[in-house]
Amino acid sequence: MQEKSAHLVGAALDIRIWEWLVGLLIIGLMVFVMPIPKVVAIGLVFAAAVVKAVLVVRKYMHLAAEHWLLCVLAITPVVLIAGMAIALSPDIAFRQ
Amino acid sequence: MEAAPSIETVVQFGDGDSIREVPAPRLAVWLFLTSEIMVFGGLISCFILLRIAHGGWDAEAAHVHWRIGAFNTLVLLTSSLTMALACTSAKEGKEGMARRLRTYLGFTILLGLTFLGVKACEYSLEFAKGLTPGAGLFWAFYYTLTGLHSLHVLAGIILNSTLWIAAARADLVPVVQRRIEYAGLYWHFVDVVWIFLFPLVYLT
Repeated sequence: MQEKSAHLVGAALDIRIWEWLVGLLIIGLMVFVMPIPKVVAIGLVFAAAVVKAVLVVRKYMHLAAEHWLLCVLAITPVVLIAGMAIALSPDIAFRQ
Repeated sequence: MEAAPSIETVVQFGDGDSIREVPAPRLAVWLFLTSEIMVFGGLISCFILLRIAHGGWDAEAAHVHWRIGAFNTLVLLTSSLTMALACTSAKEGKEGMARRLRTYLGFTILLGLTFLGVKACEYSLEFAKGLTPGAGLFWAFYYTLTGLHSLHVLAGIILNSTLWIAAARADLVPVVQRRIEYAGLYWHFVDVVWIFLFPLVYLT
């Protein structure tokens, strides 16, 4: 398996990543149309979205090969926004 | 007067044996993308919080065209592929690189225009039903989120078009070869934003 992926470079790797992205899109759509509990469906759909985003960021944007400081730079606003949303949720989302 | 820094200016991280250099333009693009994450992240988190507060907006969300959104997602994912192929061609620098660059960039631009065209048709369908930005808080968020994203797609198309035009001139090909990486970072970011917008607006 490792030898196979080691040969995937350049255009072949780009196409393989695209295949994964389209596959995850199809999975997300199938989960959406299936008769499963809404909370489960939302969780699965967003999990697929996170995986797609990580694939694009790591492989297409090459963040995996960058200095760790660039990774911190990219993740910091996500953490700040998530923290803000969590902090505000009792007053906005779950206000009685 | 000091000379302007060349495009090859690098920023060094670390010291001693662990010095790592990052081209200054790449660092600048990532800093810009960080600010864009704050913009979209703020909007998305507001949408999520208010949606929970208003009981989910199920009745309003039932009117969005998820099949059109799914098609547009496929279009944008494929445009990311063609952009990645353009960047890979530039990086490899093999024979025929300029022609491949223009081909892949051209496809990226066409797919971006397809996305915007489909989005415009979708907006017209919704306007025809009276679902305008003033129709409610859900629709205000829907048009703000997708409209802002579409503006970013348009900016990416303009950026890619300038590179496509420049790549037609032999003397500018080395410049395009250096700069397409930065255009690629921006385009993939626009794709990542849609990867989260699509399920948030259309599938929930």
